[in-house]
Amino acid sequence: MIFSRIAKAALDRFRSSLQIRALVYTVALSGSALIVLGGVLSVSIGNGLFNTRTEHAVMESNRAKFAVARLFQGVPGQNSWQLQQALDDVVSELESIGVSQTRQVAFIQSPNQANSLNLSSPRSAGLDLDLITKDFRKLVRSEPTVQSQTVQIMRGSESIPAILIGQRFTLPGGHRYELYLVYDMYNEQQTLAFVQRTLVLGGLVTLLIIGFFSFLVTSWLVRPVQDAAEASELIASGDLDRRLVVRGSDVAAVLARSFNHMADSLQDKIKALGQLSKMQQRFVSDVSHELRTPLTTMKLSADYLYGEKDGFPDPARRSVEILHGQMDRFDVLLADLLEISRYDAAGVKPEFEVHDINGLVGTSLAAIQQFADSKGVYLDADIPSGAVQCEVDARRIDRIINNLLTNAIEHSEGKPVNIRVAQNDRAIAISVTDHGIGMSENEARQAFNRFWRADPSRKRTTGGTGLGLAISIEDAQLHQGKLEVIAEPGFGACFRLTIPKRQDVTDYVSPLPLALDKA
Amino acid sequence: MYKLLIVEDDDALREQLEIGLASSGFELCFAATGLEAIPAFEKHKPDLILLDLMLPGKNGIEICTEIRKTSGVPIIMLTARTDDSDMIRGLEAGADDYVTKPYKIEILVSRIKARLRPIKDVQQTIIKIGPVELDTLSHEVRKGDKKIALTPLEFKLLVTLASHPNEVFSREMLLEQVWEYTYKADTRLVNVHVQRLRSKIEDDQEDPKLVLTVRGWGYKAGPE
Repeated sequence: MIFSRIAKAALDRFRSSLQIRALVYTVALSGSALIVLGGVLSVSIGNGLFNTRTEHAVMESNRAKFAVARLFQGVPGQNSWQLQQALDDVVSELESIGVSQTRQVAFIQSPNQANSLNLSSPRSAGLDLDLITKDFRKLVRSEPTVQSQTVQIMRGSESIPAILIGQRFTLPGGHRYELYLVYDMYNEQQTLAFVQRTLVLGGLVTLLIIGFFSFLVTSWLVRPVQDAAEASELIASGDLDRRLVVRGSDVAAVLARSFNHMADSLQDKIKALGQLSKMQQRFVSDVSHELRTPLTTMKLSADYLYGEKDGFPDPARRSVEILHGQMDRFDVLLADLLEISRYDAAGVKPEFEVHDINGLVGTSLAAIQQFADSKGVYLDADIPSGAVQCEVDARRIDRIINNLLTNAIEHSEGKPVNIRVAQNDRAIAISVTDHGIGMSENEARQAFNRFWRADPSRKRTTGGTGLGLAISIEDAQLHQGKLEVIAEPGFGACFRLTIPKRQDVTDYVSPLPLALDKA
Repeated sequence: MYKLLIVEDDDALREQLEIGLASSGFELCFAATGLEAIPAFEKHKPDLILLDLMLPGKNGIEICTEIRKTSGVPIIMLTARTDDSDMIRGLEAGADDYVTKPYKIEILVSRIKARLRPIKDVQQTIIKIGPVELDTLSHEVRKGDKKIALTPLEFKLLVTLASHPNEVFSREMLLEQVWEYTYKADTRLVNVHVQRLRSKIEDDQEDPKLVLTVRGWGYKAGPE
C-alpha cells in the first residue's frame, strides 16, 4: 500500500521532471556499460591468472618427472624395500620442489598390469583421491604428454579451485605408474576477488561521479527551459510583466529573447483589447446615460399627448397611442442596456441580506397574476411550508423570478406554468417550467445570449428586450449561483435557478431536478 | 399654493416639465445652470426643490450641500445616473428623495406631494426619546437645552420611530410611512437618512443609543 504509493509518486516525479529522466537514463546507460566492461575485464583477468598458473604447473610437473626419475635410478625393478623407499620419498621430494607453496602429490600404480607391485601408492596427506576421476586417469594413461584439469578442492570449509596435473610414469622394471599433482589456486582466487571488488567499487564511484556530473550538466541545460515554463505559468495566471533574463548568445538566450518578445506582444494585445473593451463599455454606459434626459422629455411629452388623445382625430390618436407604448419599451430597453453595461464594467455591488425565498416568489407571483390571467395561463406553485432562508440581493432575485415567469407565460401557449421552490442544507432552488413551444438543444444553449430570440422569424409581439436572460444569468452568477435550462421542442422549457444559502458556500447541489415533466 | 424650484439644464425637458406640472397646481420657478441655483433659491424661497444632479457650473451634490447649511427645504434629486454611488452621494449631501430618469409625471407629482404633506395626526404633542424632546406642533427638537435643526424628513423619521418606542420598523415600513412609497423603493434611502439623523441627535454616532439598528430587520427607537 505505502510502497505502491511511493512507487507511484516516484513514477510521477520521473514523468514530470525532464531532468530526473535525463539523469536516470544517463546513469542507467553508463551503469550497463560499466557492468559489461567490468565483466569482460574480470573474465579476462581471471583467464590470465588461470593460464599462467596452469603453464607454471605444467612446467613444474615436467621438472617433477625428472626428479622422480632420479629417485628411481639404480633401484631394482622388483618388490624390494629399496623400491618402497623410493616410492615413499616421491611425495616428500615433490612437495618441496619448486616455488609453489601448496602442492599435493599422488603417485598411483596404474591398474590391470601383468606384474603389479604389491606396494602402497604414496600420496600427500589430506589429498582426496576422489578428485582424480576414472576418466581423467584413463586420459592420462592413454596420452604420453602432461594432462591438466580444473577441480574444486576443500580447504577447511572453503571450496577453492585447483589444477590437477597428471602424467604417466614407468618405473624401472616396466611398472606403469601415474603421477598426479594438485596445485590449488587460492592465491589466484584471492587476487581475482580483490580485482573484482576493486572493479565493483571503482564502477560505483564512477557511476556516482557520472550521475553527479550529468546532474550538473542537465540542470544547466534544463534551467532555461524551467525558467521559461515558470514564467509562462505566471503570465498565464495574470502576471503579464514577467520576463526571462537573457544571458549570453546561445540557444538558451535565443529562447529567452523569443519568449520575452512573445510576452511583450501578448501584453500589448491584451492591454489594447482591455482598453478597447473598457472604452466600449464606457461608451455603452455613456450613451445609455446621455439618452436618458431626452428620453425623459419625450416620455413626458408622449404621456401628456396620451392624456389628451381623446381630443385628437382618429389617425393622430392612434399614433399617440403607438408613440406612448413604444416609449415604455424604449425605456425598459435602455434600463436593461445600462444594467448589462454595469455588469460588463464589473461595477455591480450586490447587497446581500437573508430573505425568505418563499416570500419573494409569492410577491412575484401576485404581481404577475394579472399578466398570466390575460394570457389564460394557470400558475401552479409548489412551495414548501415554512421559511426558505437564503442570503440574497432581493432586488436581483426578484428580477430573475419575474423574468423567468414572464418568459414562461409568454411561451406556454396557454398551458399551465409550474413554479417550484426547494431547499437542502446548502442551497435553494427555484424552477419555472412551461409546457409550450419549447426550444431545440441548440436554441437552449443560446438562450442566455444577448438579444437572442428563439425564432428569428417570430414576430416581436412580446415586450422583452432580449436582454432579460442575459441579465438574469449575471444576477445568478453574482450570487455564486447557477441558472440552467433544459428544453425540448413541443414539450416546453424548464429554467432552474440554484443559489447557495450563504455566499461562502461554493460546493452545493441543486435541491430541484432540471427536467421537463412530459406527463 | 406650493412653490417649486426646478433646477434642470436641459431646455426641452424644462419646458415639458412646465407643461406637465401646469395642471398639478404648483407655482413653478426655474434655474438652468448650477450657478443660478442658489441665487434662485434665495430669491424665490421655494417649498421644494427638484434638483438635477448633472449640471453645468456647479453640480447637484454641491448645491445640495450648500442649501443644507441654511435650510431643511425638501430636495428631490432628478438623476440620469442610476449608478448607486451617485444616488448615495446625493442622499448623503442631504437630498430627501430621488427620482430616476426617465420618470412619469405622475410619479414625480406623487413624490413631490409626499414631501410637502404635513405629518399626519400624531397623538402626543411632545414626544420624548432619551434626552431628546420633539414638539410636533412647533416642529422643534431639543436635546437638553440645545436646539437641534432637523429637516422635515428627518423630523418625520424620528417622530415615526419615537412615537412607538421599542417597536421595530423594517426599512420597507419606513419607506411606506415616512417616504410614502407604495411600491418597492431602494432601502438604502432609509440607511442614509438614519445615518444623517444619528449624526445630529446621538452623542456617539458609532454607538447609537436613540435610533438602534435591529440586525436583519430594521430600526427602532431606543429605550426611554
